[in-house]
Amino acid sequence: MNIVVLVKSAVDEAELRADPAGHPLLMGAATKMSNFDMNGVEEAVRQKEENGGTVIVVTLGGADAKKAIKEAMAMGGTRGVHILADPRGAPDSLGTAYLLAKAIKRLGEVDLVVCSEGASDTYQGQVGAMVAEYLEMPFLAYAKKVETNGGKVTCEQGFEGGVRVLQAKLPAVVSVVSEANQPRYPTLLQVMVAGKKAIEDLPLSSLKSEDYPETGMEVLDVTVQATNRKRVLLDGSPEDASKKLVDALKQEGVL
Amino acid sequence: MKLYGSDQERVLISLYGAGPADIYGAILRSLSAVLEEKVSPLSLALDQGREEIGKPRRILFDQGLSKLPHAPEFGGMGLPFGVYALAMELAGAADASTAMSLGIHNTVAEAIARFGSADQKKRLLPALLSGKKLAAFALTEPSSGSDARSMRTKAVKEGRYYLVDGSKMFITNAGEADVYLVFAETASGHGAFLVEGSNPGLKVGRELTEKLGMRGSRTAEVRLVKCRVAEDSLLGEEGKGFEHAKELLDSSRIVMGMICVGIARAAYGKALAFAKGRELFGKKLSDLQLTREKVANAATEISAARLLCMHASRLKELQRPFSSEAAQGKVLATEMAARTCDAAVQLMGGYGYTSDDVHRHWRDARLLMIGEGASEVLRMLIASRELERES
Repeated sequence: MNIVVLVKSAVDEAELRADPAGHPLLMGAATKMSNFDMNGVEEAVRQKEENGGTVIVVTLGGADAKKAIKEAMAMGGTRGVHILADPRGAPDSLGTAYLLAKAIKRLGEVDLVVCSEGASDTYQGQVGAMVAEYLEMPFLAYAKKVETNGGKVTCEQGFEGGVRVLQAKLPAVVSVVSEANQPRYPTLLQVMVAGKKAIEDLPLSSLKSEDYPETGMEVLDVTVQATNRKRVLLDGSPEDASKKLVDALKQEGVL
Repeated sequence: MKLYGSDQERVLISLYGAGPADIYGAILRSLSAVLEEKVSPLSLALDQGREEIGKPRRILFDQGLSKLPHAPEFGGMGLPFGVYALAMELAGAADASTAMSLGIHNTVAEAIARFGSADQKKRLLPALLSGKKLAAFALTEPSSGSDARSMRTKAVKEGRYYLVDGSKMFITNAGEADVYLVFAETASGHGAFLVEGSNPGLKVGRELTEKLGMRGSRTAEVRLVKCRVAEDSLLGEEGKGFEHAKELLDSSRIVMGMICVGIARAAYGKALAFAKGRELFGKKLSDLQLTREKVANAATEISAARLLCMHASRLKELQRPFSSEAAQGKVLATEMAARTCDAAVQLMGGYGYTSDDVHRHWRDARLLMIGEGASEVLRMLIASRELERES
């Protein structure tokens, strides 16, 4: 089975700082593979382990994005493809999907495209569906369980109070949620081996044609919202402290 | 707490250049994720005796931490010693006692890699690097610690065997180890012997459970009673055992220093979070000038200790003398960790004094001003090297 997994190099939110006006300092900020994409990669690698075949990791991003591809390759990806984009003029969701789909079409026969529910930095959750549209493949969203058998993919999709089971013919695009699996930790040796593997570069210009969607969409502003935690420390015995905790929660209207 | 970040990344770039630093950084970032998610959460419970000793060590063996600095032909990753040293900083921040247990195990693996016969390497190194076997380093005795040369344990050659008799004290991993590196006096000086944990002549005494810190590792006395070991268990040359021990301790001191850098960071991180949240006199504790002095001192000292230990690592990698730098790094790092942990307790006041999760870092750090070369002995070594220099 030839599987493509889409990953994004996202800003590492744990290291992100903002200027006094609340604008995140994105230039030079530390990046890593989006947390949600770890579930996507895990699912792709599991499908490869069950069915054989390859897992091609595809990303679009600046030079830093290679780091995300290597993280995915350490988890079991067999090949890495990087569409090099200028982070200052990064395409919007539709442009990203267009470029990813064009790249996927160049990879030969693909049976399954896996992505995650959204990116851990922007969390728009649009690209998977748009890629499916460009590839003219069915899209099975928010899967918490994925099975492939007899040329078909079956997914369980959770919703409040129930489960919906979807099935489609392969090739298909599937987005997984974090309940789908527990991402593996690669060993340090696997990380080292992945770090030395070559990654194929696809120039963005080679994928862009006249039909590229110029939507004119721009991100005008991003500000962080400060959360003021109260950091109340309750002292006394566990019994006293638990009473104080209940009182404090009542006072805050939580209980 | 985020264990791997830009501080370590910049050290890697300055020592090894951007290309290699990318790969080393990815390895340390991956290790850091495992430490943060699987090891740090066990650390307090280990200190309080509520968690199984050895569980986090197993996790780190499975990740391949012991493989980092060793040759690929025996299952190692062949990475520079400095990358391993930085990994031990991260491990020290997650759980110092587990890091120390692994550090000592890895010192025995280094001993075999450096001084072992082809057969000893083939027989033991793959099992030690993968963690299938655990090792202990048995040099200190009940009546000789800093003055290790005065050891009383004797090894007498009898045909194709040695009979080893004596007692070893404060041995980390005792009772769990499969292999003990035992130092003993022989007819021609000192020898180092690889003794199987299953040897009927090797007896593990009572575990020292009342120790101040490092409670996530085992410490006990090991007695050797007419312990018969085959002559091919001798590691390196007979008569050079003490020299071998000194060389191994030089490397181990870098590691213990880096574990202390990690301990200091763990305590400092908790105090910093507290200072940012605590209010007094209408201000945040972190806005008070005396707090800022503590923060600046801790950050500066942590960086200084890390850099001195990494400098010693780089000299070792380049096969230059590094004994004095390793001793300086350990003295600075261990005493810095005790100071920083003390400052963290002070900053957190009653909450620091009454919380295991804060003062345990000071208790852990305190050991390393004694073990693997007490600060006083290391200062003697450093001063001797200085005085030997031509003026």
